[in-house]
This record gives sequence, structure tokens and C-alpha cells, in this order.
Amino acid sequence: MSQTRSIDYSTLSLRDALDLAILVEEEAKDRYEELASQMALHHNEESARFFRFMLQVESTHEHQLLERRRKLFGNKPSSVTRTMLFDVEAPDYDEVRATMTERQALETSLRAERKAFAFFDAALKSVTDPETHAFFTELRAEEADHEAKVAERLSRLPADPLITAEDVGDEPVAH
Amino acid sequence: MTLESSVERKYLAKDFRSELKPIWCPGCGDFGVLQAVYRALAGIGRAPHEIAFVSGIGCSSRIPGYTTAYGFNSVHGRALPIAQGIKLANPELLVLVAGGDGDGFSIGGGHVPHAIRRNLDLTYIVMDNQIYGLTKGQLSPTSPRGLKTPTSEYGSFEDPVNPLLYVLAYGANFVAQGTPADMPGLAAIIEEAIRYPGFSFVNVQSPCVTYGEEEQQVKAHRAHMKTLESLGHDPADRLAAMGLAQAYGQELYTGVFYRNDTPAPTLDALARERQKTMAGQGLPRERILESFVQR
Repeated sequence: MSQTRSIDYSTLSLRDALDLAILVEEEAKDRYEELASQMALHHNEESARFFRFMLQVESTHEHQLLERRRKLFGNKPSSVTRTMLFDVEAPDYDEVRATMTERQALETSLRAERKAFAFFDAALKSVTDPETHAFFTELRAEEADHEAKVAERLSRLPADPLITAEDVGDEPVAH
Repeated sequence: MTLESSVERKYLAKDFRSELKPIWCPGCGDFGVLQAVYRALAGIGRAPHEIAFVSGIGCSSRIPGYTTAYGFNSVHGRALPIAQGIKLANPELLVLVAGGDGDGFSIGGGHVPHAIRRNLDLTYIVMDNQIYGLTKGQLSPTSPRGLKTPTSEYGSFEDPVNPLLYVLAYGANFVAQGTPADMPGLAAIIEEAIRYPGFSFVNVQSPCVTYGEEEQQVKAHRAHMKTLESLGHDPADRLAAMGLAQAYGQELYTGVFYRNDTPAPTLDALARERQKTMAGQGLPRERILESFVQR
């Protein structure tokens, strides 16, 4: 569930908005790295591979935003920190399971992209600065585009078998 | 390239993240608790080397290893006595204690009242999943009555221990509850508990994704949790806190149940004071033994 604290969207400047967007991507990138590691630990290579792919995607977005920020505002320090945002585009921890199928991994990302869309959509209602409004509108559209891409990838996957590892596998092994 | 922050924070959440990767089951509530701890510590602003994180045994007791603080994954149920020793030996350390409900309220249950009455400046975080997860799902002290597990095949006959009422009854001065379903709330509660000058207790309803019941999972928490603030609860009212704490197991209330804003001095502060007043009055080392021997 995406949440932020101590951020007043009605006074958010373009620089703050850019910094927030960068941190949203950074958080998502870190989460995908964690999820890929969790899946690899439990020998679920299919889902790990997909989460690694998403890690690359989020990393690319983060870099693009950082570059844009650098061009517009140079190295001016940021007044937004990661502690102000929680799971905006990052999949929630409770979404994943050790035995999840690749399809379920994609569905997890799909929900994360929808969550990010909803976040920018809700924030736009409070944003007053025109530049920030335009930027958030652009980000919201990008989230919709990402959702469509994940959905398209999902549509190419075969349906999950009737019996999956969840039905027959042992519980995760205590280490 | 990364962002340089102008916010006055000495440490960021990532500064408390160790290189060790958590091996909890994917989907475990403890991942959220860990994130909340990172954020709370960033908010506190103490350096990792100024923090000691002590735990017992169990899934949740792995948590110190996933931080950059000094960590001690100690003995089952004995995290509190060890943490108290650490705090007395080095009062300058910020001492966190963590463990599961089994560690805290079964094998370690006898230590909790004494930690409370001694009132050392510690923060005790119980990651309450209502089951023994690490050993594959046996009944734990906070498991609900009727729960079927490998050790209660036909359903448990026992009522659960109520951790909130337990610590309130023993006189804990700071008692709160959180859930990873509300990450900002949980991070804020842990930070407030750490800042509290004395023993502070945080019960975190942290679901076991593998052996826990469906209605105990994070999704269910999101659906039915209620903040104590929204109920208009006054955390200074201990009796009201005890009344609300009785709903443990039926309702999921989050926030601060009780906070004594005029707490007694901590034991570590009293010990330091006594050390100061008695400085120079101590016996020479060679005469200490004599004072114990009757002649």
C-alpha cells in the first residue's frame, strides 16, 4: 500500500517532484533486487529472473530521471528523503511467495504499477504548481504505459498448471 | 549518480542495512518490520556503532544480523537479560531487543516483568506471529484458542497470552502495537519507542506467511486495523489502555496504548548516579573479598 509522510503536494516544486520520482524508482529497484534475491534463495529461478528484469527496468527509469534532474537543477541538494515514502511503486512484501509462478510474479508487478498510477493520480489532485502538475501527469501516463507492457508480457505467458509448486511443495526450509 | 540530501539527517535508512540478505520466507511480515526499524533508526540519527541489537532465537530473532548495528543473536528467551547487561555495562549504547512471541512470552516470559520493573532504557520489539514458525508451525503462547497445529491436532484448549495486557499489568511505561500493513505508522511507533526514556515495548503483529492463518496476514490487517488515534484514545490513560488491550486477538489496534510522560529514572541512570556519588569510596580491590568473609 503506497504511502508518503511529511510531503505537502500543494507546495511541491518541480525539483522536489523530480527528487520524489527518483526515490520512488530507487525504492522499486531496491525492492525488486530483494525479491529476486528471495526467489533465488528458494530456488525459484523463473520468478527471480523476472524480478531481476524489473530491477533493470526501474534502474533505467531512475537513471533517466537523475539525468533530467541534473540538467535542470544541477547538484542542488534534495529536500525529499526515502523515509518520506513507503512502497509507492515497490511491490508490497506480502505479495510474494517462495513457490510463486512466473505468472504470479508478473501479476505482482502489474499490481505495483497500478499502485504507482494510483499514487500519482491521487497526488495530482493536490498539486498546484503547473510544472509539477505537468510532470506528475507525465509520470502517471508512464505508469499506465508500464502497466500495459507488463500486461502484454503476461498475456504471452501460458496459464499456470492446475497443480503448482504451492500445492505439492514443502514449506520453505528453515536455514 | 545519487541524490545529495539537504535534509538534516546524519544517517539514511540504507546506512543501517547490512550486506547479509534476509532468509525469511518470501511474504513474511518481518521484512516490513525490518524496513520500519531501518527508517526509525535513520530518524533517531545515532551511528550504527552506537547501537546494540540483541535477539533471542527464532525467525524474527535473525533481525540484528540484517542491520549494521552491533548484533547478538543470543539464547532462546534470554535476549532481555543480555540486553540489560549490555545497557548497564555501556549506558551510552542505544539498546534494541527483538524476538518472537514464543521467545518473549513462553521461554522468556519470566524475564519480561523484571525488565519492566528495572526500567532500563531499552526498546523491546516483539514480532508476534502467533506461531512457532522456525520449527514448522507449532502452537505458540499467543496462538488463538482452537488453532490446529502439529502440537494441537484437534485444536488448542488454551487461551493466548495477551502481550499488551501482560506488559501493562507489570507497569510498562510505554506500550504500543503496530503492523507491517501500516509501514509509516510502524516506523513512527518504533522511533517513538526508541526515543522514550525508559523501557518501551512494541508488539508488532507480524504474520507468518507459511504457517499463519489467512485472517492474520497483512492483507487482512489492512482491512480491519484501526488506529488508536482514530478511536480518540488518550495514551496517558493507563486504565483506558488496559481496556483496549483486552481486545487483543479480536481487534487490531495500532499506535501507542500507554505512555507515561513522567517516568521514574531508569535503572541505568540510577546506577550511574550511584557510581558518581560513591566514586572514591570503593574498597581497594584486595579488600573486596575481606568484606564478604566473616572473621
